[in-house]
Amino acid sequence: MTLRTGAVRTLVECLVETLADGVVRTSVTDSPATVEVQRDRWVDSLSAAHGAGAHFFDFLTAYDELDQGFVVLVHLSTPDAHDHVIISTRVARDDPRLVTVTSVYRGAAWHERETHEMFGIEFVGAERDDPLLLPAGFGAHPLRKDFVLAARVARPWPGGVEPDEDVSKRARRRPLPPGVPADWPRLEGGETP
Amino acid sequence: MAISVELLFADQLLRPEPAPVRVSVTWGRRYTLWVVGMGLACCSVEFIAGLLGRTRVAADSDLSPEPGLDDAHILVVSGTCTDKLAPAVRRLYDQLPEPRYVLSFGACASSGGPYWDSYSVTKGVDQLFPVDAYVPGCPPRPEALLQGLLVLQAAIATNDVANVPAFQTQAAVLARPLVAPPTSPRRNIEQP
Amino acid sequence: MSENDYPAVLPEQGDRSRGVIALLESNCTVCMLCARECPDWCIEIEGHKVTTPATTLQGRDRSHNILDRFAIDFSLCMYCGICIEVCPFDALFWSPEFEYAAPTIGGLTHEKEQLGGWMQSVPIEARGDNDPADSASDQR
Repeated sequence: MTLRTGAVRTLVECLVETLADGVVRTSVTDSPATVEVQRDRWVDSLSAAHGAGAHFFDFLTAYDELDQGFVVLVHLSTPDAHDHVIISTRVARDDPRLVTVTSVYRGAAWHERETHEMFGIEFVGAERDDPLLLPAGFGAHPLRKDFVLAARVARPWPGGVEPDEDVSKRARRRPLPPGVPADWPRLEGGETP
Repeated sequence: MAISVELLFADQLLRPEPAPVRVSVTWGRRYTLWVVGMGLACCSVEFIAGLLGRTRVAADSDLSPEPGLDDAHILVVSGTCTDKLAPAVRRLYDQLPEPRYVLSFGACASSGGPYWDSYSVTKGVDQLFPVDAYVPGCPPRPEALLQGLLVLQAAIATNDVANVPAFQTQAAVLARPLVAPPTSPRRNIEQP
Repeated sequence: MSENDYPAVLPEQGDRSRGVIALLESNCTVCMLCARECPDWCIEIEGHKVTTPATTLQGRDRSHNILDRFAIDFSLCMYCGICIEVCPFDALFWSPEFEYAAPTIGGLTHEKEQLGGWMQSVPIEARGDNDPADSASDQR
């Protein structure tokens, strides 16, 4: 949210003007203002923001929208923190690749590494893509929405017992704890896989 | 590195251990407690308040500002241990000389705590090495740490003194790298 | 900043200090809400249903739950208080007691006898109309 008035343009205005048809949608009522751009204009949009004065790179992350793919977003601001913008783009789930922005902001390297290991999004041209936070050999992307916390399946849920349930019988299927999807593979008798 | 006196006694005089020797060695161990803290997360703030703050225990103790690992008796693990950091925590335990005791401070170090279902958290440091006392809390009060040390002292007092394992961690184990080297080559990026 | 004299002097604690959770067994109806809502799954409850036959001519049988086991694993507990807030029958209370470190991790699981014992340390203003003398089971 900008505090300046007058002839000085905001970052969002600079981006809209520079990218023109590369902008998918903007929202100035969000705080900070958000700009969604086309995937092939990703680096251009960050260069434009950098040229308009957004020299402070805050973070790069993503979120999973299942069938609509992943949304990768970046938070930038001017060094005096008066003007902020969140630039986002969408990548398809079956082709999760995006060009690296380390040519514009070198500090994005670790953020891209973490986003890569957590979501599986490949940043083309990135220096390193080995895991930052996950141990070696983890083998999955934990922040995807289809990643289930296996501990919630393996450990019997104390809240899944009815007060009068005979523990030895267990004829009825026990209710699932929160966070476990209904189609998670289960063995007969509610045993853990 | 000088061999500690207690180990000398253990080897030479304690089979079978005469009661006066056992009592004196145990007394020495109970009341000479040098603590090294591994502060991993929020609980470390309470650990600092408990042992390094203005407490009677700190004032009455001969607390070296930074005991080296060679001098420490107790390892206090405070905070969440992640799977990525677990080898480093285990390395710290390996570097302590015998007799060593471990106090697990807080819920995360005891069992994983609120992160028990996480994909990246070690569910309690007792999966890495034996723990001698557990202090519950999220985070525990600084006074709870002091009470945990009292519980640890009582546990030390009942320890079988002759059961001091005579091994020293192999140097090769201590020298193993903790983190795998990067797989992709580093290149220099041109400045914009 | 005053010096902390523990263990000679117990620390002064605020009115609603969260030290340990106390159970008033006579209020518990084994509704399982606390066990279901606990984010750490650290409350374990076992009970059974008892049916009292009807006493009047066209009355129906009454049934109620008997609490067999109520355990809280404090090695997992994160002291959020959700169980105390969600209990509809005021069977759980905060107590400022904090001195219960244990040499084994099993020692941090408190069964209902120990949880009932903590009722003695629950502050009077927090108990409301509940008398800790009722913490002994008086199952109907």
